[in-house]
Amino acid sequence: MTEFEPKIVAFCCNWCSYAGADLAGVSRMQYPPNVRIIKVMCSGRIDPLFVLMSFLEGADAVLITGCHIGDCHYIDANHKTKNRFEFLKEMVAELGIGEERLRLEWISATEGEKFAGMVRETVEKIKKIGPSPLRPKVMQ
Amino acid sequence: MKGCFIAWATDDATRKRGGSGGFVSAALAAALDSKLVDNVLVLKKTSPYKATPIVTNDPKEVLECAGSFHFVSVNMAQYVPSGRVALPAKPCDARGVIERAKRGQLDLDDVYMLGLNCGGSLHPKKAKKMVEEMYNLDPDAVTGEEILKGELILKTADGGKALKIDDLEEKGYGRRESCRYCETKIPRMADIACGNWGLPADKVGKTTFVEVITNKGEEIFKNAVDTGYVEFEPASDKAIELRDKIEKVMKGLAEKWHKRLFEPIEKLSDSDRLAFYVDALSSCIGCGACRKACPVCACGDNAKCLIEGNSDYKIPLFLMVRLLHLMDSCIGCGRCEDVCPVGIPLTLIHRKFAERMQNKLGYVPGINLDKPPYFEGELGEDS
Repeated sequence: MTEFEPKIVAFCCNWCSYAGADLAGVSRMQYPPNVRIIKVMCSGRIDPLFVLMSFLEGADAVLITGCHIGDCHYIDANHKTKNRFEFLKEMVAELGIGEERLRLEWISATEGEKFAGMVRETVEKIKKIGPSPLRPKVMQ
Repeated sequence: MKGCFIAWATDDATRKRGGSGGFVSAALAAALDSKLVDNVLVLKKTSPYKATPIVTNDPKEVLECAGSFHFVSVNMAQYVPSGRVALPAKPCDARGVIERAKRGQLDLDDVYMLGLNCGGSLHPKKAKKMVEEMYNLDPDAVTGEEILKGELILKTADGGKALKIDDLEEKGYGRRESCRYCETKIPRMADIACGNWGLPADKVGKTTFVEVITNKGEEIFKNAVDTGYVEFEPASDKAIELRDKIEKVMKGLAEKWHKRLFEPIEKLSDSDRLAFYVDALSSCIGCGACRKACPVCACGDNAKCLIEGNSDYKIPLFLMVRLLHLMDSCIGCGRCEDVCPVGIPLTLIHRKFAERMQNKLGYVPGINLDKPPYFEGELGEDS
């Protein structure tokens, strides 16, 4: 059997964390290809529904990224992101699917290495704990 | 005029028909009579197992609705009409009203809540079965019911029969599950809190113990006295003490039930807990009854929970969104579990998720308007 390759969904905001991911790319920083990036205009656009759906569709981990607090290009929308994350975190913990599967990270446009590091770390962790128990049966 | 009183309806018929002293019905009728409110929202009993919420501006009809019933599963918060209105409210009704006010569904300044002390209610359908199997009575022969000193007394034409509620609950009957572990027994978030706890023995059933809490409560109470619907005397320190004692005992029992029902889930390992949730929630048929019955839900027709997920999701998206959305605002009224056609222990599961978040936030929903629903508001400035 081939080694388990986690499927990871990363939400990146247009102004900071996507640019950070872009920087990681153009600087040729190495990180595993398990991550699927979804670009949104702002981390405040990341409806908790997106995260829940990602898990139900079979994501092994979900990364929420955005501009640092105070740097949001839409004044204070990432405060809302933070707020929703706190709810999602408790929900993931209560469901018992493993708290490592949801992560929030603030990444600026200059932090390409932070982005690459975050992906490397997450892939390593998820490989250890295995596929998400919420994966639909067809994926198991 | 804030504080504790012992009050009763001056009208003998109301006093007799009322649960204990008829104060609530009399005060509601008085409020209508003197145009303090435009409407009154009350439960109209159509059979021992059915009561329908009605909105009326006729004081006579309000007086006709006097009397306590426990075989009912309704949350009044959903039926509050616009305009100035008064209603009798169990703790979960009152908390529902406040949560609806937070979501802009009603204006709390216009709502007068006459709180009712509540030890719990029974699901009408299960009550019917209980009457047959535990009491060996014909459900239709029951003319009335009463809860006194931990016993549920059923009245029939030829007498009555009393059984201990504890025994009924051991057999799976008795109060609704959410009532057993509900710790809000005296609705101090309402404008007035009424009940028979704390009354001296010779006054039980003839008078109402009334605690006037807010300015609106004062208004209602004063109006009832001024219009001659109600008479009162101050409550003795002994009565107040006794009431607090009863509340404490009830809360203690609720804590025990909470432990008994929640601990088995808490003890499960992460994967077993997930298996329990998946097993319970995946039987959902998506009828949406829980959402309709929920007094807190106010998203309307464009609610996120109505977005359809795939059928191969391990947990229906509908319930996932609802679980998340109610984490800060579930008041544990038990309506979702009552109406679920496939019998998912929804309230238990919602409470399990909500308690985790509410404990973390140090927030109790449905107490006052000071704090917004956290999901919409902000947790803090830290990053």
